[in-house]
Amino acid sequence: MATSLANIFHKCSVTSLENKFLTLSITCSVPQTRKKSMFPFPPPRLRNPTWFTKKNRSKSDEYLTPENREFVKEVVQDTYNKNLPLAQDITTNVEWTPKLQRTGVIARKIGIYPLWMKDGKKVATTLLQVLDNHVIHYYPPEEYQPVRKIRNRVYNKKGCLLIGAEEGDPTAFTKEYCGLFTESGVMPKKILSRFFVSPDATLPLGASINALHFQVGNYVDVRGKTIDRGFQGVMKRHGFKGMPASHGVTKTHRRGGCIGGGGEKGRVWPGTKMPGHMGNKFRVAKGLKIYRINTRYNVLWVSGQAIPGETNSIVYVYDTKLPLRAPTKPLPFPTYLQELDESMPEDVYDESVHVFSDPTIFFKGE
Amino acid sequence: MTYPPKLRRLEDKGRECKIISTLDTMNTLGNITKPGNHFFKKSDYLLRRFLNNVTEESKRQNDLFITEYKRQKEAVGRIEKIDISYEKGSENITLVMNKNLSTPYDCAKHLGDSVRKKAVVALLNDESLWHMHKPLPGPCKLKFLHYHLPNPASVNKTFWRSCSFLLGAAISNAFKDDIQIVLHSFPSPNVKSGSFVYDVQLSLDNWTPSTSELKVLSIEMIKFCQQEHPIYCLDVDKDLALDIFKNNPHKTRQIPDIAANHGDKVTIFKAGLHVDISRGPMIPNTNHVGRITVANVIKLDTDIPEGPIYRFQGVSLPKAITLNHFAYGLLEDRAKILNTGRIPGSQGVDNEDNSFVARMTS
Repeated sequence: MATSLANIFHKCSVTSLENKFLTLSITCSVPQTRKKSMFPFPPPRLRNPTWFTKKNRSKSDEYLTPENREFVKEVVQDTYNKNLPLAQDITTNVEWTPKLQRTGVIARKIGIYPLWMKDGKKVATTLLQVLDNHVIHYYPPEEYQPVRKIRNRVYNKKGCLLIGAEEGDPTAFTKEYCGLFTESGVMPKKILSRFFVSPDATLPLGASINALHFQVGNYVDVRGKTIDRGFQGVMKRHGFKGMPASHGVTKTHRRGGCIGGGGEKGRVWPGTKMPGHMGNKFRVAKGLKIYRINTRYNVLWVSGQAIPGETNSIVYVYDTKLPLRAPTKPLPFPTYLQELDESMPEDVYDESVHVFSDPTIFFKGE
Repeated sequence: MTYPPKLRRLEDKGRECKIISTLDTMNTLGNITKPGNHFFKKSDYLLRRFLNNVTEESKRQNDLFITEYKRQKEAVGRIEKIDISYEKGSENITLVMNKNLSTPYDCAKHLGDSVRKKAVVALLNDESLWHMHKPLPGPCKLKFLHYHLPNPASVNKTFWRSCSFLLGAAISNAFKDDIQIVLHSFPSPNVKSGSFVYDVQLSLDNWTPSTSELKVLSIEMIKFCQQEHPIYCLDVDKDLALDIFKNNPHKTRQIPDIAANHGDKVTIFKAGLHVDISRGPMIPNTNHVGRITVANVIKLDTDIPEGPIYRFQGVSLPKAITLNHFAYGLLEDRAKILNTGRIPGSQGVDNEDNSFVARMTS
């Protein structure tokens, strides 16, 4: 053991050992933080919301008798969705003004259908089914801490309304996630989303929102995650024209071509369009007109067929921010609060849409 | 803190050398010094150094237990061999073990890790339950019981009893120094009641625990169990038992009756630095305990003169059994209700041992 000691001391000099001891003593007192490595790529700059918790429980075998399983299900049904506020019971004194911002809604894109206008024009519309939205939590403007803090002075501070959609089994979620729903008493939801609202537009916890929150003829913005197209070339990703398929073109049909100039700044500029990952990003389709609302299935027929996302993906729908598409008639504020009765028609159409049950339109020549 | 690699290797070598030398010198004392049988684990040292709540009393009790354990081992004298038969699937295995020295845990070690880790309590000759760390008295047929048996009633009772025992261990260390804690006893385990129980005399009048206090108690229990203490067993004479529990008036009153029903012997168990009396077998190690919650503390209406008795109630599940949080929450709510187990009173001796029901439903 003594010889091995001597060997070790010969291999590293005494001064370097001293330095190492010094660094040891210093690093003991300072809290150690590990610098994030930029290899192989920079770490993602996460913008997780304030209520972000682990959602799904890791599944494991549970040996419950069938009677116990039934009992747990019964208790789950009895615990949640008790005494939720009805639409009729919510009272507001505030009248809608264009400056007020209402809540949005979580919907699912279910398909694309054509509609015909009264002038014969065919319009492609996307069907968005408004899911079972319930209010989970409300953060008043002072309380809500956005992840990216806005340094400028914000006038008309907005509160943050947490809306949940699509009920799930609480036993499949973590206890932390289910804790988010104890205040409102709503069955834990699979999808959570925030919408910024004016403080006057808050809804009580547990209130439900349906498709009639919107009106036919008004405009909405739809935010969704675009289809993940994977690693794509420059022609699909940026719309480059490519090169001819024949006529002597050698080995260059779909490539990017020249990527920069020369001279003083002879380098490839940051942001140069090149192949890379395409899709799976949140994008907003703005200023989409609602042509039709189905009250039975809570479906919005919204203009356009290029709404971000695949069929059956989740989208977030809210009143448009475009100034020239602002609503002229007062909107149901804070949401549609009348009772849904049988006398209401199943479909509500915009005045420009031709309903098939109406008499045929004849074009009168001059 | 990272040492320069060469220095770390040197330090490891140093530590190794020390261990070898002590083993060489201590080998002559017999098999108590083997790594598997040591009492002074590193975690015990940490406990003693950092856990300020460990009282002189528990250290004294612990020392008495250890000296008696060593004395009993040495008193065996000439080692006799016994044949233990074990059925592994279709084949019959015979293990040749040492009489009054080998434990069912030692037999399990011969049979493999899967048997050793799964075994909760041993069944001798299909009739008597035997604690895993208790020496075997003679040749017998051995069976290991685990949590996933079709009829786990005895395993459940063992687990429940161990939880009560560990609850006592956690309580004795959880309170501040100005509060006097005197553990009374715990009734016979009844899993169907929904909670395991320990009755404790506290020097507090009309204390209702807040949720944070209950959480702290639960965390203390979890921390204790995570230290992976083996639970050791000893049959001691009435006099030694009275010496160990001389500062506990309740136990001092209970010991003579227990000894009378048990052939003048009292069974005591030790986990970490906590020593307590109990009749039945316990789980072999605290790491068997998975989730554990102290659900409620209720003041009992008793006629015991020394002070108010509080009933600590809890619920737990072994690590081998998984359950979703919602169902476990239902169990916790159930455990909040006052447990109808026997309430201690000054008339008669309230101990598990004495109960007719307890002996019949073992």
